[in-house]
Amino acid sequence: MSRTHRVIPGLPLTLGYTLFYLSALVLLPLAALALKAGQMSAPEFFRVITDPVVTASLRLTFFASTLAALINAVFGLIVAWSLVRYDFPLRRLFDAVIDFPFALPTAVAGLTFANLFLKDGWLGGFGPRLVEGVNALAGLTGAGPLLPSGALDWLTFPYTGQTGGIVIVLVFVGLPFVVRTVQPVLLEWDPEYEIAARSLGAKPATIFARVIFPEIAPAWVSGVALAFARAVGEYGSVIFIAANIPGRSQIAPLQIVTRLDDFQYAQASAIGVVLLAISLLILLVINGLESFSRRHERTA
Amino acid sequence: MAGAPIAAKTALGPIKPAPPPHPVARTVLVTLAVSFLTIFILVPLVNVFVQAFAKGLDGYLAVFWPPQPAPEQVLSVVQQRKLAEAAVQAGRTWHAIGLTLSVAAIVVPLNICFGLAAAWATTKFNFRGRALLISLIDLPFSVSPVVAGLVFVLLLGRNGIFGDWATHLTWIDPFSLRWVGFEAGFPLAFERDYSGVIFTPLAIVLASVFVTFPFVARSLTPLMESQGTDEELAALSLGASGWRTFFKITVPNVKWALLYGVILCTARAFGEFGAVSVVSGHVDVNDTMPLRIEKLWNEYNNQAAFTVASVLALLAVFTLVAKAAIEWKAARDLPQNQGHSSQ
Amino acid sequence: MTIEIRNISKSYGDNKILQNIDLKIESGELVALLGPSGSGKTTLLRVIAGIEQADEGSGPVLFDDVDVSDVDLGKRRIGFVFQHYALFKHMNVFENIAFGLRAKPRRERPGEAQIREKVQTLLDLIQLGNMAQRYPSQLSGGQRQRVALARALAVEPRVLLLDEPFGALDATVRRELRRWLRRLHDTIHVTTIFVTHDQEEALEVSDRVAVMNAGRIEQYAPPQEVYEKPASPFVFKFLGNYNLFHGRGQSGDGAALVRPHDIVIHRDRDSAGPDARLGLVSHIGFGGPVVKVELETEDKTHVDVEVTTPTFNDLALKRGETVWFALRTQQEYEYDFVI
Ligand SMILES: Nc1ncnc2c1ncn2[C@@H]1O[C@H](COP(=O)(O)OP(=O)(O)OP(=O)(O)O)[C@@H](O)[C@H]1O
Ligand SMILES: [Mg+2]
Repeated sequence: MSRTHRVIPGLPLTLGYTLFYLSALVLLPLAALALKAGQMSAPEFFRVITDPVVTASLRLTFFASTLAALINAVFGLIVAWSLVRYDFPLRRLFDAVIDFPFALPTAVAGLTFANLFLKDGWLGGFGPRLVEGVNALAGLTGAGPLLPSGALDWLTFPYTGQTGGIVIVLVFVGLPFVVRTVQPVLLEWDPEYEIAARSLGAKPATIFARVIFPEIAPAWVSGVALAFARAVGEYGSVIFIAANIPGRSQIAPLQIVTRLDDFQYAQASAIGVVLLAISLLILLVINGLESFSRRHERTA
Repeated sequence: MAGAPIAAKTALGPIKPAPPPHPVARTVLVTLAVSFLTIFILVPLVNVFVQAFAKGLDGYLAVFWPPQPAPEQVLSVVQQRKLAEAAVQAGRTWHAIGLTLSVAAIVVPLNICFGLAAAWATTKFNFRGRALLISLIDLPFSVSPVVAGLVFVLLLGRNGIFGDWATHLTWIDPFSLRWVGFEAGFPLAFERDYSGVIFTPLAIVLASVFVTFPFVARSLTPLMESQGTDEELAALSLGASGWRTFFKITVPNVKWALLYGVILCTARAFGEFGAVSVVSGHVDVNDTMPLRIEKLWNEYNNQAAFTVASVLALLAVFTLVAKAAIEWKAARDLPQNQGHSSQ
Repeated sequence: MTIEIRNISKSYGDNKILQNIDLKIESGELVALLGPSGSGKTTLLRVIAGIEQADEGSGPVLFDDVDVSDVDLGKRRIGFVFQHYALFKHMNVFENIAFGLRAKPRRERPGEAQIREKVQTLLDLIQLGNMAQRYPSQLSGGQRQRVALARALAVEPRVLLLDEPFGALDATVRRELRRWLRRLHDTIHVTTIFVTHDQEEALEVSDRVAVMNAGRIEQYAPPQEVYEKPASPFVFKFLGNYNLFHGRGQSGDGAALVRPHDIVIHRDRDSAGPDARLGLVSHIGFGGPVVKVELETEDKTHVDVEVTTPTFNDLALKRGETVWFALRTQQEYEYDFVI
């Protein structure tokens, strides 16, 4: 495809406009962050980000994001595999709702999860609510209560206000990334290799581990990295479900907001720089992975 | 990476013939997948509506239209106060809806223009730094929403880099039409004239532009890249002007991708929380719908919070339906094009 | 209109795609640009069209002796037909053909009724009168090709430039369409350049052929001359099958190129002449009017010979027989050469 310089009109206009708009609304503001953080001396910067409250928030962010990314790594793979390989009722519906976390405002997600995982919420108090429901149904048919109350009191997930809740919303926001990066690779994969391998007597588990998994691994890793990056920056949904106690249950983005509310701009920008650096690092890793798998493809 | 959409090339086809699945593995995996999606997506979605209707349809509607007492009804002081409070709350909710729409009405057209220009520049021409430009356009997806808000505070806030200039900036409601000499207009939610930028609706517009920046450009670029320049060159060789070529040839060729980008951009503009929260200053008049949800939740007004949330959830469902429809439409258009302009 | 280009060069980075090309095309001529893939045919056509810009230091592109190097694509009044047609997918056949007319500035734009009439005339010309409402996706390859041509003709171009106009079509449609193009050209007489890598197509249709190789024009002459008096070994080889003979000539070692049909087979030495050589019939391939005979010489080289079927029958050749063969003509000799 040859691109032509002079013939197609509009390069100066569109490129100029693009550069201006990009600089004014993205690059300049980001430069302001770098500048503000740069005004601090190195020890000062170091003192801010090693403040116990800040380190606690960074630790929490990392811990919860890692856990959420790992859960997504496992379940995302299972979901993508099931959607591509197995037929089951409502398969297309389940495929369509994968994108829901992209479309649903984070505040709404946080709100509904916070409500669900309350002590007496549908999922937070899953066991007791189940007993209640079953008994109510039984009552409708005229029979007495089927289950003794308190039978399932051990089956509860009261995560609202706990770290578990943070992990759960982070799983939600990162869910589409793994599925949607692995899925195209699986769709492209030709099962004839498996038929051939099976006919040679290989076990399905062996085929998966030796043949299929290496094929999808690069996409899977980038999907997990994307989910992790998204979780590190997530704010809206988390603050609904977390207890937000400084030094204990504040995530790093919330630390920024708290510092801003106290007019501690330098501190806020220091934490902001750390978060930005992490996301850029992950971006680099993903780009590296992609170019690696492209090279790999060409030599294969 | 906030909300980076992944290219819509995941359309499930029919299941390819494969060796017969292990029945146990199949059952276990499908059960796990379905339960996971049910717990993490379907139940939370249904819950939004269940909680919103916790006080029935009347309770739901009362969030927007508080009950009016009949004229002859005698009200106690407590009742009067309750009614007045409900009216104030409903007013704030309406204001949040208006502000959300106003912001989107400014942000989306801006990003459409930008997306079209950026896609044109990066796909129809080759120049040094093109790859870098493309990654820079994607950059806002990798920035935490809170950082997106923070950078504008650091730039335009009171102690910001352009703080002096920005805090003395006065500007008028863009919807008032006063800037073109009319007194009236449709003041959706800006409602008055302002000075300063941060903690005003203008900052909300800026933060929203930042976080929705790449959507349109990104949904157009791959398609325009694959379409090449032959049709544009053909139009130009027939004597068409650049604008005519753009509007009559290029835009119709990418209309589905454009619509897709616009829908994603709009959904995000409606739903952005973190960036907007940081620049809003938590002032009531700067509340968009997501911020309003947070306020109602903090006021323990659970049902009202869910009612506002249900509107946004409905929009999200609509976004998914529209996405599916567009994919279906585009896929239906696709086979016709094959062999015709495939390179 | 005449087209003349002088000393045109074009490079992408360090790759020299076109090197010092000169070409002059008379008014109303139909010229073929013939060459292997990657030889720069498309690039040359695009430079003439104004889609591509020649390098600094190149000479001018002259239309009727007027330099158009700095005239925009849209102002050159050329009709360009792309290899993959580049029809506007979302417009039907009628709208495609009318596009150029409707895009004219208001002063020059014909009325809607005139546009209809003109498009209808063109539709009749391309024999698609009843397909005006179809979309490109509903047409066959050959039909798309003709629509693309009609769209280019609608604005009454001074020059018609066709990039591999029949490249994407199957053999029968190709043959049909190229005759149609020739007839069309004979009726409208617009100066036309078309790109092809099919020698048969170039020789059959054009008034003159420009044979390109690695960014240069090796020969520019009428088809017969190109075929009978190839200016270089490359041209000779590109235009058909050939045998390569090595040997010692009067002024040193050399090689000769000979077409398979320019070799004569004889049963006996006397009629074969003094320069004849011996060959073993190693393969016989029947192919309708001609029979392909493969000979193996004493030094184990293979020689391809084509004889007409009647001659073959007269000779009654069998595999494994030894025969004499001689070269019919001397003009293909490349260097001074004797067997
Ligand atoms: N935009 C470009 N950038 C770099 N190289 C190019 C570009 N366009 C063409 N080339 C190179 O120029 C050479 C000639 O290309 P051109 O398309 O003119 O060949 P062609 O004779 O038309 O071949 P074909 O018969 O395959 O169409 C090729 O080697 C090609 O790789
Ligand atoms: Mg070519």
